[in-house]
Amino acid sequence: MGDLVTINMGPQHPSTHGVLYLELQLDGEVVVGCKTHLGYLHRSIEKIAENRTYTQFIPFTDRLDYLASMNNNLGYCLAVEKLLNVAVTPRAQYLRVIIAELNRVVSHLVAIGTFAQDLGAYATPLFYAFSDREKIVELFDSICGSRLTYNYMRIGGVSGDIPAGTEQVIKDFIKYERKQLIEYNELLTYNAIFLARSKNIGILSKEAAINYSVTGPILRASGVKWDLRKEEPYLVYDQFNFDIPVGTVGDSWDRFKVKLDEIEQSLRIIEQAIGAIPEGNPVSKVNRVFRGTGEIYLRTENPRGELGFYLVAEGGFNPTRCKIRSPSFSNLSALEELIKGLNISDAVCVLGSLDIVMGEIDR
Amino acid sequence: MLFIYIKRIFIGFYSLLKGFKVTFKNLLKKPVTLNYPVVKQPMKERFRGMVDLYPDKCVICYQCIKICPTAALDLGHKTLEDNKTKNITKFTFNAELCCFCGLCDEICPTEAIFLNQMYEVSYFDHKDLIKIDLMSPEKYKNVDGGTS
Amino acid sequence: MIPMLLSGLAAIGFIAFSAMFLIWLERKISAWIQNRMGPMMTGFHGTLQPIADTIKLLLKEDIVPKGVDFLSWWLAPFFVTVPVVMAFLVIPFSPKWIALDLNVGVVYICSVTSLCVLGIFMAGWGSNNKYSLLGGMRSAAQIISYEVPLLLSVLLVVMEAGTLSMQGIIHAQSHGWFILKPHLTLAFLIYFISATAEVNRVPFDIPEAESELVAGYHTEYSGMKFAMFFVAEYTNMFIISAIATTLFLGGWQGPWLPGVVWFLLKSYGVIVLLMWMRWTLPRVRMDQMMSFAWKVLTPIALLNILISGWFMVK
Repeated sequence: MGDLVTINMGPQHPSTHGVLYLELQLDGEVVVGCKTHLGYLHRSIEKIAENRTYTQFIPFTDRLDYLASMNNNLGYCLAVEKLLNVAVTPRAQYLRVIIAELNRVVSHLVAIGTFAQDLGAYATPLFYAFSDREKIVELFDSICGSRLTYNYMRIGGVSGDIPAGTEQVIKDFIKYERKQLIEYNELLTYNAIFLARSKNIGILSKEAAINYSVTGPILRASGVKWDLRKEEPYLVYDQFNFDIPVGTVGDSWDRFKVKLDEIEQSLRIIEQAIGAIPEGNPVSKVNRVFRGTGEIYLRTENPRGELGFYLVAEGGFNPTRCKIRSPSFSNLSALEELIKGLNISDAVCVLGSLDIVMGEIDR
Repeated sequence: MLFIYIKRIFIGFYSLLKGFKVTFKNLLKKPVTLNYPVVKQPMKERFRGMVDLYPDKCVICYQCIKICPTAALDLGHKTLEDNKTKNITKFTFNAELCCFCGLCDEICPTEAIFLNQMYEVSYFDHKDLIKIDLMSPEKYKNVDGGTS
Repeated sequence: MIPMLLSGLAAIGFIAFSAMFLIWLERKISAWIQNRMGPMMTGFHGTLQPIADTIKLLLKEDIVPKGVDFLSWWLAPFFVTVPVVMAFLVIPFSPKWIALDLNVGVVYICSVTSLCVLGIFMAGWGSNNKYSLLGGMRSAAQIISYEVPLLLSVLLVVMEAGTLSMQGIIHAQSHGWFILKPHLTLAFLIYFISATAEVNRVPFDIPEAESELVAGYHTEYSGMKFAMFFVAEYTNMFIISAIATTLFLGGWQGPWLPGVVWFLLKSYGVIVLLMWMRWTLPRVRMDQMMSFAWKVLTPIALLNILISGWFMVK
């Protein structure tokens, strides 16, 4: 065994997905030690929550997992609604399901594209994924007026009803995306080089996944059938038919494939929801003042795993404590064990398959 | 043994060829992007651009100041001698703090404050950005390529 | 003396022009594949974009990082560029247009093009950057390994043509391109794959693997030195395509059009294939690439030589 080389991967590196800083100990090209340094994107969002009213904090949840803003909004609003006993109309619930699932598709598309980019497929799959994503982002733009930080959900409803013709756009998108999924399978999933690069790389066993409290597609790729939409149905998820895709081995390829399959399942949910959407008024006005007492922990199934909001209210306009359990943070904790003994290319592959978002890890 | 080896190589090559097929199909497609500075996409109706104000409609209720999560708006007024009419002394907007959430737009009872359709919002001077006078009709004159 | 100087200048001019055209073509092809438009603003459909890029690179500050190995840092760009120019000596653009028709042209061009690994390794070592060093090491291992199947596939062509001169090989193809013969089709495939590895193109771009090593051996280079690496990369691509054209695709031979047009058409056709490959495939891993060279390509090339040699002797 020769001398070890320390390499600082990040905070500025093409494939660390933001400002993650990995201190890698290399023996030749083999990673023998890995230390993760966090905190480059810390904005003390939990503290901000204590100084803002319940409504004012919604725009800040956009900035947690910025690829799945709608889901974050949803998780926070559901927690506040349960804390303060706010009623939601059925139309708003259906709208929320549709929007949240569309955002899950968006988030997984980005995950697929960036994973392929990490494996060295120069930008092409990324651009295909982004041009698919663009269709939904445009739709969100017309619904709520923004392209990344949506701020769409409100406590007790949503900020505005969907404009006329949105249903047709979504139906067209479902048709289009099903065709695109076949293309992704041809371009990436069963590509020989792609398989060679990601099969049996970074195997996360069932037990290890549970011990690291890994959630979301990464947990399901390890073979655990756990999805909050099925286990603890919130909103109206219990009314839809969908499967939970699970992986067999728990390697990088499985993590990729589970995401690809989840897109298909999300499309199924959207298809059913769009047909059954009831009439009514989903809009909740902002100028209502909320206050209450109690504490609550509520978790929802985000694209990257379980997003939990723990809120304590003591009668004021603000929560006195807000703790956010972010999925990427727990998922990242498995990295150090996963990449030991792999070489540097595989370390990048594993990191890409974990699909982290730094905004959510540092909060 | 050797046969399986050769077969695996062939299947591998075939799967690569499938990828080539996909990229070739896309090569013939029309571009999905726009030639940006020449062709511009119209913004959506609900698009949230810069904060803007109809000064006549404002009733000085301070709702927007209270709801703003980042304290980007600054409003001051003075009451005239008859103790009824109020006059705005200053109404400034700090574009650097703004997070473009649109809550002020939603909460305004008279729809005086709103978010306009501007999206090319670069300034030459930092000072112009942090204190935009919303009362002035020429507030976004300095903005790159924008007309208020 | 003067004609030699002139032809040298012409070669350098051609290199600069060809590299610029290839950079534009690469950007356009990548854009089309990715449903984008690519450069549009400078000139008609961005044709002047490489010139703008060159001006930008010329005017850029030349940053020398702390603790570089001065000699190797400074010489590396030249060691990469000079062999590229030297290789142009024996490229037969047309029956007349060849600077020097060496009787060992094939050997010469193969040895000269493999010289640039030296420059790449010097750049990796001299940069005083661990990513660069890893890139340089990878490059050395890769280029030396892929030299073996490359030469073995070229050897088959030499056996078929019975000459080492570039013009001689083209003349030997006057009754049909070599690629049309089955054993030489296989040789062409082997040549194409190993040549891709030789010029560090996807899927064998591991020395500069962007997502792993930032930019590999030229991470620390900026300004004109970076431009030299860039030009060398694209010109190398032209050279391997030119060799492929000469050895397998009949060189300048073709109906109606003059020879030089046919030669350039075929060469750029091969380059387009390389670019198409770059924007489609993911990158292979270091050890996979090495095992592919030694366990797949080299045995197949050897078997190919053995079997077709047996037929030739019989």
